[in-house]
Amino acid sequence: MSLEQRPVTRFELLMDAGTGAQKAGDILLGAFVGMGQYVYVEPMIPAEISPPARSRPALSGVIIRLADFDVTNIGNDTDLLLAAHEIVLDRRLDDNEFNTDAKILLDMGDQEANPDSYEMVLKRCTKLGLSVIPFDVDPESQTIVKELGGKGQNLHYLGMLSYIYNMDEEIVQSQIIKTFGKKLKEDIMAKNLTLYHNGYRLAKEKVFFRIDVKTHKREGQQILIDGNTSMSMGLIDAGIKLYSGYPITPASSIMHTLAKNFPAYGGMVHQAEDEIAAIGCAVGSYYAGMPAVTATSGPGLSLKQEFIGFATVAEIPLILIDVQRAGPSTGMPTKTEQSDLLAALCGSHGDYTKIIISVSNVIDCFYAPHLARYLTEKLRVPVFILSDFQTANSYKVVAKFPLAQMKNVDEIPDFVFDRFHMKRLTGPIEMVRTQQTLPGTEGGMRRITGLNTDENGKINYFSDNHQRSHRVRNEKIHHVRRALTTPEMFGKDTNEILIVGWGATRGAIEEAITLCAKNGVPASGMHFRIVYPLPLMLKDIFAKYKKVMTVEGTYGDMLKPSSLALLLRSETLKDIHPLIAEATGRPVRPRIIMQKIQEALK
Amino acid sequence: MTADTSVPITIKELNTENPRWCAGCGDFGVIMGLKRFIVDRQLAPSQTVNVSGIGCSGRAPNYFNTYGVHSIHGRPIPIALGVALARPDLNLFVHSGDGDALSIGGNHLIHGINKNFKCVFLLYDNEMYALTKNQTSPTTRRDHPTNTQPQGTFLNPLNPITMALGLGASFVASTADWIPDHLTNTMKAAFDHPGFAFVHISQRCPHYDPNNFDHKNSNWFSFLKHPNGIAPDRRLADKSQVVEHDPSNLAQAFQYGAAGHRYFGLYFQNKSKPRYDDILHNLVDKTVKKDPSKILDSFLV
Repeated sequence: MSLEQRPVTRFELLMDAGTGAQKAGDILLGAFVGMGQYVYVEPMIPAEISPPARSRPALSGVIIRLADFDVTNIGNDTDLLLAAHEIVLDRRLDDNEFNTDAKILLDMGDQEANPDSYEMVLKRCTKLGLSVIPFDVDPESQTIVKELGGKGQNLHYLGMLSYIYNMDEEIVQSQIIKTFGKKLKEDIMAKNLTLYHNGYRLAKEKVFFRIDVKTHKREGQQILIDGNTSMSMGLIDAGIKLYSGYPITPASSIMHTLAKNFPAYGGMVHQAEDEIAAIGCAVGSYYAGMPAVTATSGPGLSLKQEFIGFATVAEIPLILIDVQRAGPSTGMPTKTEQSDLLAALCGSHGDYTKIIISVSNVIDCFYAPHLARYLTEKLRVPVFILSDFQTANSYKVVAKFPLAQMKNVDEIPDFVFDRFHMKRLTGPIEMVRTQQTLPGTEGGMRRITGLNTDENGKINYFSDNHQRSHRVRNEKIHHVRRALTTPEMFGKDTNEILIVGWGATRGAIEEAITLCAKNGVPASGMHFRIVYPLPLMLKDIFAKYKKVMTVEGTYGDMLKPSSLALLLRSETLKDIHPLIAEATGRPVRPRIIMQKIQEALK
Repeated sequence: MTADTSVPITIKELNTENPRWCAGCGDFGVIMGLKRFIVDRQLAPSQTVNVSGIGCSGRAPNYFNTYGVHSIHGRPIPIALGVALARPDLNLFVHSGDGDALSIGGNHLIHGINKNFKCVFLLYDNEMYALTKNQTSPTTRRDHPTNTQPQGTFLNPLNPITMALGLGASFVASTADWIPDHLTNTMKAAFDHPGFAFVHISQRCPHYDPNNFDHKNSNWFSFLKHPNGIAPDRRLADKSQVVEHDPSNLAQAFQYGAAGHRYFGLYFQNKSKPRYDDILHNLVDKTVKKDPSKILDSFLV
């Protein structure tokens, strides 16, 4: 019996969809957080609601990274894995995210009916050098699961994991009661608790190692929140009053959260008939003076493009949240990617102007709406907030952050600008139309149109005038460009290589640079929160590094620069290639970044 | 800037530039009908918003000295809903053509009708695409040649009246650009309706289809008449037929509607259909408010 000390470790629970893997993860998480552990959680969500059990698409689960210190990403490799059967394990092995000494707990319950399949997967594990600890759910628990209509297996596994992670059996039990509380009838709850305790006992008898999880005392109030929920709360705090959307994964959970919470803060949720209507209603609302937002993902961004151009020309404020997923087309709705940068940058026709903000963690998600509202109301150009599946769904414990309770955009706190590496805008900002009255303003009647207009708002097809409109719109973006400060940097300010990323890759880049420093690899990092426009001093910064390469969750190769590489090349004329440009649907990993840096420096 | 709520509103004050429509276009009649109504009711221009899509009718908001949004093709309804949610106190008129409303924007019309939010919806139906130069639209009559179907339009036209009735519209009226009194009276009834007032307007396009609506004769149509309806046009009522129709009679409304452009007046009205804009506003009003300084407290661990 060994008690392992690990300052940071990662484990996962894999089950069939709909059998409660994520629920078990949540309970465990609650208990870890109660012990003062830092956690970063990535749910693995199938694209279908009820894919057939014991099939590869049914893989549903949760990956939990635990540490004695703050962790900014899901990390590198799994140390322990509990799988409900051989099929979900086999599917997950494809991702190749396991430490060489990883332990695999495999439920053998289905072996009798599927001996060949089990044999094949066990052989695969042996080949990969992974040690498998087979176990069987005890007969009493099997009977209870049958009585519960196939439910409750997750609590049995939860019991096993509680034992392995050296947790107090009673604390986890109270967490179970807290989680299910009033939802379960007394007798059903009792059966679930029996399953939990049986699992705990089973591990005690069958598993010959435990991982010590230390208890820490944390200063100040801590919250546990995911990206989309944080974004929803941020929208409320930024003073947005209308959410107008259409159901689409993975943006929908913002709409769910607001549907429950918004009316209590004076806000409305409008579920539109389609993606185009959703953005149209947001445009109409902002036109009439009520701050509004629309959010979408994947195909929804394509559908909204015409309205983005209209808002640009009509000078109506517009905030569009895009929670990116793997594309093109329907792609992989529940997998992460950073492949919408160019669609945001150039998606609508006719050279429109725009600002693109990205988010890298739950705190960015909270404040991005504040900055977006400030910029769109000051400049009257569309502002994108680019999130992604990974950032939207991952959750972690953070110190509770301060609220802004913004009523108007001038109330935006300075720390929001600091977070996004820009200064407050100064000086007068010219509009295409001099008059920008809101409907209802006496004497201020005006018409807006997608047609080109002069400064009086009159339709105008003259060549000089159209050129002026473009100049005025682009000057708005230049205001932002000039207000941008040096982006976030990691490591030395001159080095052999600089790796650059945006949005979700921030945590992995930061950790990779720390890892590089420890291993004597001469690398530095840079991360953009505002991705467009880019700051003016980039060329000077890049000059201090022998090589500049990007890290992106989207496809690229030596002949086809990935999105950020393409943008940076055009802005700096530097020969920038992707270091990592992967469209695997999996988060970028710090260890892999370091490996690739080492290869690039050879 | 001049105050607009303190002086009597006149047609002259509602005019902007000269409309860029063809001579004899029915759109002149439609906007004049609406201006006459605004003057009759003395609606403050600053409290009035015209929203349109694209096409000849799309230009309409530019010709009213009120607030206006000349938006993109087929999408005036979502914009109008946004305005209705943000400012329920404003007077809201939506201008949309047969291509705009029934083709590219068909989905929004379905859901605008179903949501029943408060606005006057004016369907300018000239039975063709005109601004893009004479193409077949959803309401072009069968066999009529156009630039896209020169052999003669292939399909039977959609019937906007029975379509609106079938979708559960709470207000369905029909009028024509060349009967000004009836047009203005229809605007009145539509404006006073508590919900989405669907107004079908037969509209001439003398440039591309001069023989479509015989505006010089009135023997081919009838007015629907009822104390709860819209009064028949006084000048034409003698010449044209007048039929009694109770606007609460949906089955009868379908029968008249199925005849297609043969009856002008109020087909159907239901003043008690719930309004989506009211529902959303009431939800906000009735929900017990929470302390905005504590929005993160439920996530504390």
